[in-house]
Amino acid sequence: MASDLSIVLLSLRAAALATALLLPVALVVSWLLARRHFPGKFALDVIVTLPLALPPVVIGYALLWAVGGSSPAGRAIQSIFGSAVVFTWVAAALAGAIVALPLAVRAFTLALAQVDPVLEGAARGLGAGPIRVFLTITLPLAGRGLLAGLLLGFVRAFSEFGATIVVAGNIPGETQTAPLAIFTRLSAGDDGGAARLAVISIVIAVIAIAAHNYMLRRTDRSDLHRTPAR
Amino acid sequence: MLSFDVRLRRNGFTLEASAVFGNGTTAVFGPSGAGKTTLLSCIAGATEPDEGEITLGRRTLWSSSKRVNTPPEKRRIGYVYQDGALFPHMSARDNLTYGFRLTPPERRRINPEAMIGLLDLGELMDRRPGQLSGGERQRVALARALATSPELLLLDEPMASLDARRRGVAIGYLKRVGQELAIPMVYVSHSVSEVMALASQALLLDRGKVVGLDKPGKMLPQAAAGYDREAEPFENLLDGVIGKRPGQVAVGNVELIAQTGNRKEGEPVILSIRAGEIIVAATPPEALSARNVIPGTIAELSGNSGTVYAAVDVGVPIVVELTEWSADSLRLAPGRSVFLVFKASSIQLLDA
Repeated sequence: MASDLSIVLLSLRAAALATALLLPVALVVSWLLARRHFPGKFALDVIVTLPLALPPVVIGYALLWAVGGSSPAGRAIQSIFGSAVVFTWVAAALAGAIVALPLAVRAFTLALAQVDPVLEGAARGLGAGPIRVFLTITLPLAGRGLLAGLLLGFVRAFSEFGATIVVAGNIPGETQTAPLAIFTRLSAGDDGGAARLAVISIVIAVIAIAAHNYMLRRTDRSDLHRTPAR
Repeated sequence: MLSFDVRLRRNGFTLEASAVFGNGTTAVFGPSGAGKTTLLSCIAGATEPDEGEITLGRRTLWSSSKRVNTPPEKRRIGYVYQDGALFPHMSARDNLTYGFRLTPPERRRINPEAMIGLLDLGELMDRRPGQLSGGERQRVALARALATSPELLLLDEPMASLDARRRGVAIGYLKRVGQELAIPMVYVSHSVSEVMALASQALLLDRGKVVGLDKPGKMLPQAAAGYDREAEPFENLLDGVIGKRPGQVAVGNVELIAQTGNRKEGEPVILSIRAGEIIVAATPPEALSARNVIPGTIAELSGNSGTVYAAVDVGVPIVVELTEWSADSLRLAPGRSVFLVFKASSIQLLDA
């Protein structure tokens, strides 16, 4: 049986990779939602929000189908990395990323919408190209909100159970994250072991949510996001 | 030289404007909703017209027929927004140097340090925009735009958020910029007073169409038609210097008497005289309590529902507002010699 520490470290590692995976996707999607008008915007919003509403098992099932050994993506991964992604900790991260995506996109969209487009336009006029504007104006001004979104995504990925067990399995020491280990220990009658992991999970969640709320509270108070009153 | 010929249709509004602006300061004015800001936005590249062409000097900035669309960052146009649009997460200094650092060294003509001196920004440099007053933000924004060494400066109602006193200061700074840096400026305003004080030519826009482009004094007749006197009384804004004797202020070659308080000799000021507080006399008036009696010649007359605006040349143009009845009974007409009469207390002195 794997130790509490190794289980928690594995979960943190998977959640960290999940956060890293969702960051670029959530940034692009939320930027599109906050700043652009285009046909299909409504559909995009629905699609990225879907994981919030679906049973996580369904997401795991869909992932298994999408990146499993018989899918084109699965075969591509197999030929590039020399091994399959399903039933690895990377698959657990992938599952976490997808269930956490809607939360991150919501938070990011809100954060980006708070940045006055006039400031971005002003930066363009001063000679900055779109990428520089994003890096020097949009990102710093939305920074706290984006960080809050990442924390929320991280803790959601850390907590994922249903999608993970389907696409990554429940292999002790390899893909058994904290929620899976709690379930396994409970099934085996190890109430003490389950309780220890449960307490650790709660502590991590409390810290992440507290940090998330702190970020947003500072957003409200500081004048960082606003242009001077007209 | 800026020339444009643009058509744009948005949500029931149509902008259809073409003109050529020479160097110097051009005012774009007209009632709200006339399309002033939209026009500026097209020139700056933030809004794309449907059809037409915009050229600055020899460069085509935008052309529907040639399929040219220079992005805003490549247009070399400075833009000063109504509220400054300073970056709130940067100090005033970082705001000032943001564009300067992005300007290729071979195109750098204006040094940010020189802007700090010209616009008196020294003490403000380490502050955040949130710690600056409206006028200070406006000055930093102006310096920030100038530090990119633009070939054209666009200003969108830069004084809208300033009170009358601060406006005098701002007009002084803008004049200094125009004179010392020789950058052509396009200045959007709904204030006829500002236009008269700053611009060398004025483009009058109404409902998306160009009504005319001429010297500000000549444009006043059309401008008066849409002018809301109740909301904003027309004031003459004149450059002056405090004279030697108490109360003496020199405006060009004209000597005026005002309440100079403890201002010192040689101090530059801006005089604000409401057009409605000036009396026109057809013959030299005698034995008056009013201290200012100035001879001049009527240059333009324009009417608007019972109100007549007379542009009187006394060495500098001064606009007088009077009723149609008075204008008729005095038989006022262009070329006629008159005397302008106003009290010392009708002149408000603003810091230049």
